[in-house]
Amino acid sequence: METIDATAMELLANGIMKASAFLGAGICMGIGALGPGVGEGFVGGKACEGIARSPENQSLIMRTMLVGQAVSESTGIYSLVIALLLIFATG
Amino acid sequence: MAKGKGGMLRIFIVFLIIEVALVILSGNFSRQIQVVNEEGQFELTHAPVHFDLQAKISEEFQHDKYVADEGHPLEIYGSEGLYNFFAKLSEKFTIFGDPTPIGTFRLLRMLLIVDLVLLTIGFLVFRALKTRPSQPQILFELLYSMFDGFVEESLGKKLIKFTPYVFTIFLFLIVCNMIGMIPIPGFMEPTRNLNVPLGLGLMVVFVVHVTAIAVKGPVGYLKDYMTPLMPLDVIGEAAKGVSIAFRLFGNILGGAIIILVVSSLVKFVLLPIGLNLFFGMFVGAVQAFVFTMLALSYISVAISD
Amino acid sequence: MTMTAEIIQICSFLGAGIGVGIASVTSGVGTGIIADQANIALMKQPKAYDKLFSTMLIGQAATGTGGIFSLVVALLLLFGGFEQGVVHIHRAAAMLAAGLAVGLGAVGPALGAGYSGGEACRSIGRMPRQGNIIMGNMLIGQALSQSSSIFALVVSLLLIFSTPMAIEDPTAARLIQKFIAYLGSGLAIGLGTLGPGAGIGFVAGKANDAIGRFPRERAKVIRTMFLGAAVSESTAIYALVVSFLLIFAVG
Repeated sequence: METIDATAMELLANGIMKASAFLGAGICMGIGALGPGVGEGFVGGKACEGIARSPENQSLIMRTMLVGQAVSESTGIYSLVIALLLIFATG
Repeated sequence: MAKGKGGMLRIFIVFLIIEVALVILSGNFSRQIQVVNEEGQFELTHAPVHFDLQAKISEEFQHDKYVADEGHPLEIYGSEGLYNFFAKLSEKFTIFGDPTPIGTFRLLRMLLIVDLVLLTIGFLVFRALKTRPSQPQILFELLYSMFDGFVEESLGKKLIKFTPYVFTIFLFLIVCNMIGMIPIPGFMEPTRNLNVPLGLGLMVVFVVHVTAIAVKGPVGYLKDYMTPLMPLDVIGEAAKGVSIAFRLFGNILGGAIIILVVSSLVKFVLLPIGLNLFFGMFVGAVQAFVFTMLALSYISVAISD
Repeated sequence: MTMTAEIIQICSFLGAGIGVGIASVTSGVGTGIIADQANIALMKQPKAYDKLFSTMLIGQAATGTGGIFSLVVALLLLFGGFEQGVVHIHRAAAMLAAGLAVGLGAVGPALGAGYSGGEACRSIGRMPRQGNIIMGNMLIGQALSQSSSIFALVVSLLLIFSTPMAIEDPTAARLIQKFIAYLGSGLAIGLGTLGPGAGIGFVAGKANDAIGRFPRERAKVIRTMFLGAAVSESTAIYALVVSFLLIFAVG
């Protein structure tokens, strides 16, 4: 049996850990962007419909749309935060 | 009108024919016909073109470091005085990135050019102000009254004083996004650098909160945040500025990279014109409008109960 | 490391195949939706044949944009010859991730553009007089929804052209890090454009529907469409930022 250098082994393990953090960051942001995107689009579409039906309430509908989208975007922001943590704060 | 269209088409066709003829004559795509002046007489030669896409793109991303490492000649196009001024300035103040002066210099020079364009337009329109308006005056009055309508719709009559702010952001951004189409070496959209959109986004957040305090009073303003979900609200407020900035930056930078890569793939024949039209005019105008409208809507969300 | 060139070539072929394959799934579905709605509208309103036909064709062309992007990337991967010279193994991941990014990135936008085009056709069938306005709005909506597939194209072109062929200190740890970071960036932008593309398409489709029903309110509806689409794009932009970071800032 060959003996493996302990420091080289440690370096390799460190590299693998960082590498899996990067993969995790990518998948986290990718899948995390899925739900908010569809949800915000749904909100926007319904707001278009609503404004066409009752145009006099436009500013109210638009305000509600923006608030709703901001709330539904928060999960996207969480996954962004987690991805940034995974990229910069691990290892 | 029809005559003008035909003229444009004719010019376009002539340019196309010249371009295709040049490509055919030069024979090889990686070579280009150049006029050289050797030993007192002019000569047409086939000179190889060095277009290194990889270097070009990496310059896009880390141009400060790239220029410093390669010992690349600085492309400052005869404005040494301005360059030296910025070099001195950036020794003392740096905000983001490398403290090398060339990136700062390019960005600030482009911003100055944009300001100059806006000031010139403003001066020309203002000088010829009449009761019976000229065509540019009609255009700008129409735009201004349109934005006046938007502000009145979303903020109400009391806060109509926000129109100049909103309209200034719109004009600045639309000139910024379109100035990259001018084919002069060294021209780029200032919004392609993250610092400009981020600065504008921070400004928007600042204006939103100051307006909210002014309208509701400090107590009413703080009362909005006294909920169990307070940390999330704070993150959300910060995310507004970040997302509004990154949206502008990502769209403009993506367009610039696509134009660069596709142009080099088709050897700069014809397709870049259409791409420039789409990314410069359409995406640039849409993003400027979206940034402005989002700023307005953030204010209107913040001042509503 | 004598196998490196072969592995890179295998990964290029894999990326090209997977990319075009995934991208063509929803391009097909989207164009099918448009044709379906156009035929239904034609059945109700045979007089509007010209407008419906041109709207259907233009909408299908815009829906297929993502597929064309992935075709371009696949041709680059197949015939680019990126395995020559001094290369290290991390380029294999860049090739595979380029194909994955542009393939997955075409899925959502194509679905969204298909929905938007279908609603436009239905709306024209209901109100043929507003055909030009609806078609213009459909094109704007599809361009907005395809902007996320443009982000995917940007990332995959960066992965192909802008990643270094060989790195300075090729230890195993560094190579693994680069390899997986590229794979992660491709997955981030590919999966991240899925939701926003479909969402923006939904916004544009509802706007087309609303314009067809209430043509007088079109200015307000179009403004709302721009705002809703822009906000729903923001998660795609976060994914773009994360993949830029994974390509350029780590490893």
